Amino acid sequence: MVASAVELRLRNSRRDTANQFVSAEAVTSWRRIYNSRAKAQYFLARGFALDRDSTYYFFLTMITLSIDGRAVTVPNGATILDAARGLAIDVPTLCWYPRLPVVGSCRLCLVSVAGAPKLMAACAAQAEEGMAVETETPAAVANRRSVLGLLLERYPTDRLAPDGQDVAVGAAGFDGGGPNEFERLLRRYAVPLRPERHHELALRTGDERPGDPMIRHDMSTCILCTRCVRACADLQVVGVLDVAQRGERAEIVVGGDGDPDHAACTWCGECVRVCPTGAIHEVLPPRRFPKERVAAPERAVRSVCPYCGVGCQVDLHVRENAVVRVTSPWIEEDTPNSGSTCVKGRFGYDFPQHRDRLRAPLIRRGWVKRRDRWRYEGPAAERRRGPWLSIDDEGERPKPRPPERAVGKPLASLSHIPRGPDDVRDRVATPASWYEPFREATWDEAMELVSQELSRIRRERGPDALAVFCSAKCTNEENYVLQRMFRAGFNTNNVDHCTRLCHSSSVAAMQRALNTSAASGSMREVEEVSDVIFVAGANVTEAHPVFGAAVKRAQRRGAKLIVADTRRIELAQRADIHLHLLPGTDVALFNAMLWHIITRDLHDRAFIAGRTHGFDAVRAAVEPYTLQRAQTITGVPAADIAQAAELFARGPRSSTLWAMGLTQHAAGTDIVASLLNLILATGMIGRWGAAMIPIRGQNNVQGASDVGAIPMFYTDYQSVADPAVRRRFATAWRVPEESLSLTPGLRVTEVVAEGSPVRGMYIFGENPIISDPDVAHAEHWFQALEFLAVQDLFLTETARLADVVLPGASYAEKDGTFVNTERRIQRVRKACEPPGEARGDLEILIELSNRAGLPAPFADPREVMEEIAAVTPSWAGVTYERLDMAGLQYPVPDRESGGAAFLFADRFPTGDGRGTMVPVEYLPPSELPNDQYPFMMNTGRQLYHWHTGTMTRRAKGLDAREPVPTVELNPADAAELGVFDGDPVRLVSRRNAILIAARISDRVQRRQLFLPFHFREAAANLLTNPALDPYAKIPEFKCCAVRVEGAA
Amino acid sequence: MGYPHPTHPKETPVLSRHFGDSDARSFDGWKRRGGYASLEKALGMSREQVTEEVKTSGLRGRGGAGFPCGLKWTFMPKQRTQPHYLCVNADESEPGTFKDREIMRWTPHAVIEGAAIAAYAIQAEQTYVYIRGEFTEAIAIMQQALDEAYIKGVLGINAMGKGVRIDMTIHRGAGAYICGEETALMNSIEGKRGNPRIRPPFPAASGLFGCPTTINNVETLAAVPPIIEQGGAWYRAICLSNPNSTGTKLFSVCGTVRSPGTYEVAMGFPLKDLVHDLAGGMRPGRRLKAVIPGGSSVPILTADEAEATLLDYEGCVARGTMLGSGGVIVMDDSVDMVYQIMRLARFYAHESCAQCTQCREGTAWTTKILQRILHGQGKLEDLDLLLDLSEQMTGTTICVLSDSCAAPVVSGIRKFRDEFEAYIDSGRAVAQV
Repeated sequence: MVASAVELRLRNSRRDTANQFVSAEAVTSWRRIYNSRAKAQYFLARGFALDRDSTYYFFLTMITLSIDGRAVTVPNGATILDAARGLAIDVPTLCWYPRLPVVGSCRLCLVSVAGAPKLMAACAAQAEEGMAVETETPAAVANRRSVLGLLLERYPTDRLAPDGQDVAVGAAGFDGGGPNEFERLLRRYAVPLRPERHHELALRTGDERPGDPMIRHDMSTCILCTRCVRACADLQVVGVLDVAQRGERAEIVVGGDGDPDHAACTWCGECVRVCPTGAIHEVLPPRRFPKERVAAPERAVRSVCPYCGVGCQVDLHVRENAVVRVTSPWIEEDTPNSGSTCVKGRFGYDFPQHRDRLRAPLIRRGWVKRRDRWRYEGPAAERRRGPWLSIDDEGERPKPRPPERAVGKPLASLSHIPRGPDDVRDRVATPASWYEPFREATWDEAMELVSQELSRIRRERGPDALAVFCSAKCTNEENYVLQRMFRAGFNTNNVDHCTRLCHSSSVAAMQRALNTSAASGSMREVEEVSDVIFVAGANVTEAHPVFGAAVKRAQRRGAKLIVADTRRIELAQRADIHLHLLPGTDVALFNAMLWHIITRDLHDRAFIAGRTHGFDAVRAAVEPYTLQRAQTITGVPAADIAQAAELFARGPRSSTLWAMGLTQHAAGTDIVASLLNLILATGMIGRWGAAMIPIRGQNNVQGASDVGAIPMFYTDYQSVADPAVRRRFATAWRVPEESLSLTPGLRVTEVVAEGSPVRGMYIFGENPIISDPDVAHAEHWFQALEFLAVQDLFLTETARLADVVLPGASYAEKDGTFVNTERRIQRVRKACEPPGEARGDLEILIELSNRAGLPAPFADPREVMEEIAAVTPSWAGVTYERLDMAGLQYPVPDRESGGAAFLFADRFPTGDGRGTMVPVEYLPPSELPNDQYPFMMNTGRQLYHWHTGTMTRRAKGLDAREPVPTVELNPADAAELGVFDGDPVRLVSRRNAILIAARISDRVQRRQLFLPFHFREAAANLLTNPALDPYAKIPEFKCCAVRVEGAA
Repeated sequence: MGYPHPTHPKETPVLSRHFGDSDARSFDGWKRRGGYASLEKALGMSREQVTEEVKTSGLRGRGGAGFPCGLKWTFMPKQRTQPHYLCVNADESEPGTFKDREIMRWTPHAVIEGAAIAAYAIQAEQTYVYIRGEFTEAIAIMQQALDEAYIKGVLGINAMGKGVRIDMTIHRGAGAYICGEETALMNSIEGKRGNPRIRPPFPAASGLFGCPTTINNVETLAAVPPIIEQGGAWYRAICLSNPNSTGTKLFSVCGTVRSPGTYEVAMGFPLKDLVHDLAGGMRPGRRLKAVIPGGSSVPILTADEAEATLLDYEGCVARGTMLGSGGVIVMDDSVDMVYQIMRLARFYAHESCAQCTQCREGTAWTTKILQRILHGQGKLEDLDLLLDLSEQMTGTTICVLSDSCAAPVVSGIRKFRDEFEAYIDSGRAVAQV
């Protein structure tokens, strides 16, 4: 095919080479072509490889038509509207929205086509060769005025924005804001308001979501475009909203009975995003954000969501130095989330303004300065104590019952929620008494004390008596400066962060097999190309909801979904095959799948021969894992294992996603290794559509590891034990070579352990008191430290033990970069200033570094990135300018490189380019149920909370949805125990006990429990088993034997 | 007793020849009357031959649009790469129309046989018979006939032992007029809201469940067995006027006539004879005032126009109306036109699926204005507003429901303006009740 002009233009605007904003026309064309399975089959039949390029460009034919007298060439299949948008001709639309199914029902976009008897709907009519379209003929305009006039007839006049008021920034329309999308069209077509016949038809009604903590409806302004219905059903694949009734009484309803909870709403706010009139709008906590402040934000700042690893871009609306609203980028912009967000991203933005924010440095009372030196003169016995209950003590305290949910019911119908000391709505705030052991200090005092004590411990007890926890929530630049300070300034490699507790076993296994530590592919290929998606141990729809929706869309497109999970989570219910295994039996499952694939001769012999080592050993190792044996071990029917194995191996493009369900085991590295064997033996890696994605749980856990916040590597996973590497870093940091330690440092779980040499710690934005296993023990360990400094937003459970607390900045108050789960480096932009005297984290760290004697010559994060790029080969081509828009997916070895959407097409980054398969054997979890502890407990995340709850529990809307800790209990077990929903139960493990409310749910199997770990008052990690993986030192969070006692 | 009325000499009973004969409802009774011979014959012919025979007959769709039936069948893909479906549209909801009900009540096997022949011709293994939910009697009769047909091996995996799979399922509607629209009907079968779909793609390319689908009216399919049995040429010869309208047509006559009912006449039959002869004419002392010849969705004819109309597709168009579904609504001089038109508009406002703006708001607004006029609160400008609204509602929406609402309003105001003005001026009706 001769390349047409348009095709060439598209080629030139390729995302991965030019990395620039592409025209709307190009994007719609890509989407259309991408989604065309018929065309894909056409090309497959002709032997085209379905790689990234050919899927983009296989237009079969191009057609030329004229619109308003201008010629335009579009791929066959494009609509008139697509063609018009390509010419930047603005055909008005209401029901049409990019990527939503076309219904063509608002009848606004009707245009005149020469020779056609009637006006045609531009959004639905296909463009045809030689078509002559006029978009603003008298007939078309008359029709538009008619449509708008009919809609205006039922629109509340008092809601119309006053004339002359400007459009709110990025606003799709909000109470009191400028004219919304519909009103702008009224103005464009000068539709007259005719008060004398107004309201001959009643204002529209609909379900209102009374009492909803995040989303409300004002259906009098609904124009029934049904975008919300389609966004809910087709973008988020949930289907809460629908149109009920007919004729003039037609209205948008929420589920069958108006209760979004019953309709499985996830509060993602996609409906809010697409609503053209603001009839569906977000609730803004009225006291915290008076309505007028939302009306006209001063500016909107593009940034990245601070929660999970998907890396959604969001627009932060700022007014009076506060984020007052979060909106989505336009759906056609090139963002990893296509502008979607989840409930946390859209509604969890108010924590930076929470009254608990630290506004000044805190120093523990008892520290006094005498003759230029700080010394602790307080009573030693009360050191690190305070007027609070320890996590341990809180565990067994009585808890309030989960409140009745307010949504869908008039507030009056709700039972009284008790106010007072036990008011569930206030219990997460920092109690006033927590501040008692502290006094406010100046920055100079605090900095001086921190640098004095860290230096003293280093001097008196040696460098390895110091340790630092970096933060997966903070930017690359901050983590880089922090690890640089401890490595070069304090000469220790005791640098780690919470990756240890999540994907360290994945990294260990991937390093061993492929010498890589990040995803091989992109989320987009999973959504758009993969034929089979294997999700193992990942509750994607709750922990990474935007990616979860993409997986659901992929399944709707026709991809097969295999889910291996101990719980019947949403994806498991939707899966084509749910491998409902017993906890911790993953190795047996994956080995059996591989052996079945080998017996069926479905393994990829060419890939194994050309790209891997060690297949024979693995083959011998998996041979004993027959389907029957696997069925016995895992509890999964042999037929399901066989079917899943065959489906995965046949592909032709199978992607593999996994998360904590595999990694947080004492055999975590083995489990991931057995999965990698499966991937390598079937060759399901290194092609577009065959991705290997360990889904990252935190906004920058990938980046923090990449920039060296782990004990054994400098940036880019360059070993600290390699003298050549050390030499390079010593030169870059301008320090003597021997000042950098060649000994890999201690890992999180080794630092916080009996017999650890660490005496002084700096903790940056982490909360190990909640997140470490067996926290009762960890709490005691931290209390015994000589010195503890914590840099955080709030006085967390960890910070309250500190000697010095430095108030830092939230994601909205800083510049920098995050790396998402698909290796995408994205810009985070400062929207407002930290409150009070709180400072930017980078600023704090630079000053500390300077005080510690290691000059950090950086004026801003941009300069830090320049140094990172200089010492990090795979980031060598990264500059802030190049990170605009969608960022870059590293490796970016030079300024010309546009990053890589997928890796390993030809070789793995190992010495000889081959991957290594490592034989692994199944080992049962280190703690199994017995008569005394008959339940197997699993821990993890809920949709509405994130990690230790420091942020989400201070976000009003999120906290309203899950205000108290609950444990999921199978109905049959509950019946046996005589426990009803909401009743308190006592969970006892070999280590500790907690009191918690039961949530009866058949998502868990019998004799299993699921306990979220976000809640300090019933900390899951009081119970968990600190057994460690031998390679990655990751604890066994996912399996622990407990006993359940009805506590009533 | 037999069917409500004995066959009139001017009728041409083809479909209705067994009306009133309850024995014809049973499988055996139908067999004794020569039933299922056509299906057997059709299954012995090639699919193309069957389609060709129907094309020859000139049979056109009886649901309202009058699209040539054989031609429609040829739109289906020749090679079956996906399932093909046949939908039988038995959602007879058009006000004034009750012919399909009579066919299903008296000759259910005729429908099944015709559908089976069509399914064979278009390679559809699965047929859905979508019956209006309120037709409880017809549904029971059809279900019994269908069960019998399965028991006797006429339908099923090996229909009539000919190695062809013809399965048939009855799907009951749930009371929405719009589900008689072909694409809304498909959405309804799929379990979705009964909203009409945008065309193209047409059902023959992407219909039920996104697969090639043909949808035919009950009366159309019931006419297929006689065509196969006696030949397309025979059917084509039944024609009184325009050669493009062939065969017989059932007309359901209602309103102010002495003998309302379903009458079967040859195409091209004079409307005058149907009303005055077959249906018994007006009650004593009453004069014909208006006729809606094709169900409520078509423009109204005045008495003079009606007397000159020939009942076929072209004959109606010549008088500015349409043959529609053949529901003849007769109104004498006792009828209040404004009230009747308001009732029609109210029907459409109630039944609008609410997708398209013009229809959702236009039908409701039209009704509100008409009601206001009836309450004596109308203004002369309201008539212009009604005409203006009707113009906005015509030809601008996905399906033709809003056009259907506009048609009687526009023709009513044009032809009976004095009655509207009387209401506006004096708040009273013109009609002598």
